Amino acid sequence: MPEFPTEDWFQAFIEAINASEEYAGFAATWEGDVVIQIDAEPDKGLAEDVHGLLDLWHGGCRGGGLVDEERSAAAEFAVRAPYSRWKDVIHGDLEPIRGLVQGKLRVRGDLPKILRYVRGTQELAYIAGQVDTTFPDDGPDQR
Amino acid sequence: MRGVVFDGVGRVRVTDLPDPEIAAPGDAIVRVTRTAICGSDLHLLHGKAPMEPGEPLGHEAVGVVEAVGGAVERMQIGDRVAVAFNIACGQCWFCGNGQSALCDDDAIFGYGIFGGALPGAQAQQLRVPNADINLLQLPDAVDDEAGVFVGDVLTTGFYGASLAEAERDDVVAVLGCGPVGFCTVEGLRALGAPTIYALDREPGRLALAAAAGAIPVHVDERNPVTALAEATDGRGADVVIDAVGHPSAFEGAIDAVRRGGTVVVLGVYSSETTQMQLGAYWSRALTVRFAGLTPVLAWWERATAALERGEVDPTPLISHRLPLEDAAEGYALFDRREATKVVLEP
Repeated sequence: MPEFPTEDWFQAFIEAINASEEYAGFAATWEGDVVIQIDAEPDKGLAEDVHGLLDLWHGGCRGGGLVDEERSAAAEFAVRAPYSRWKDVIHGDLEPIRGLVQGKLRVRGDLPKILRYVRGTQELAYIAGQVDTTFPDDGPDQR
Repeated sequence: MRGVVFDGVGRVRVTDLPDPEIAAPGDAIVRVTRTAICGSDLHLLHGKAPMEPGEPLGHEAVGVVEAVGGAVERMQIGDRVAVAFNIACGQCWFCGNGQSALCDDDAIFGYGIFGGALPGAQAQQLRVPNADINLLQLPDAVDDEAGVFVGDVLTTGFYGASLAEAERDDVVAVLGCGPVGFCTVEGLRALGAPTIYALDREPGRLALAAAAGAIPVHVDERNPVTALAEATDGRGADVVIDAVGHPSAFEGAIDAVRRGGTVVVLGVYSSETTQMQLGAYWSRALTVRFAGLTPVLAWWERATAALERGEVDPTPLISHRLPLEDAAEGYALFDRREATKVVLEP
């Protein structure tokens, strides 16, 4: 079971995106790579910021994985939040559109474009929640 | 007399300067007994403002009045005084409305042409225009080491704290625990803010802030956004004060404040830029208060009274006491973050 936010987790996420007929429908015309930036929380087991790239294109994900800051900065979109907030998204405790509007998830890029694909964005969060995931700050019994 | 001057980017030196003279009827000449190096002096050291080699530096000083012009009434020879870092006219609409830093004739000591080409306070003597309003007599209970904070950094802390307008149950976070952040913690406490978080990555600075009554958060050990959210049932801080003056601190403050909260921008900015997603600010109903320069004249009596009563004490900030002749070493220590506050003795 991959741990969030590792390379293995992102590959499992990408595989799940490409397996989703719902996402393919909602994002059929989407074009643009997106970085998920997870800000470090050393006391929760994430010592460094992590940047995960998703090359989203026409309802699927053409590739991606962990990237460095330079590649991250070149992406069309970046959505940034501390590790705990992403964990809330994956658990379904933070609805992503609400998080964007309330500033809990900070966007770099053309927010209106993301908001035109509300259902696709929500579906990505739902898919993330479907990936069997462990977290660095969960005890062994919770993994 | 001897004084500190800019000597090109990254360099200062101590040199002979002409003794100051009364140039206008409102002037006073102050014999400087203590002066200090301010974080904003480092902006000049780094070439962020137009300075020519040989221009005098320094804007924090305390001393004794040695001469006064014919129009000076309140100040007398022999008075022990704090000097306002930015002078004002005392006559314009802004001065009359507690905003002396926005005075039509605002000028800053030791800041080159950018500050109105005034002399520098890191010197043995200083000519102070409009002395009756730009000097403050110090009570006996406030010694020179405490008094040198009155004309700038302590009063800036009180001013920044006042902009927070913290209410009884508010959680206030101060980003950056350098001298301004520390004095803001002290000002917040003196003005009654109950819960103060202090965020920095320097353990020594965090320890000072904790001793002043703040809850320290080491930002390399705990994510500040999460730490403040966890302290407020997930909301975020009611007020966040950026006491750093860097876009990353401003953006961090925006991330850490709750919806409907207030961000106070107290740290100094000049040419920095940041992207603002207006819709996010709007939908979160944020209040962003840019402090600008401190209206010293509106707040320094209150800061001095708090010093006199022992409610605040900025002197733990002083890490180095050096002769004026060693000013270059003081700048270097401060620039390398090996000093929290350098006081110079002329």
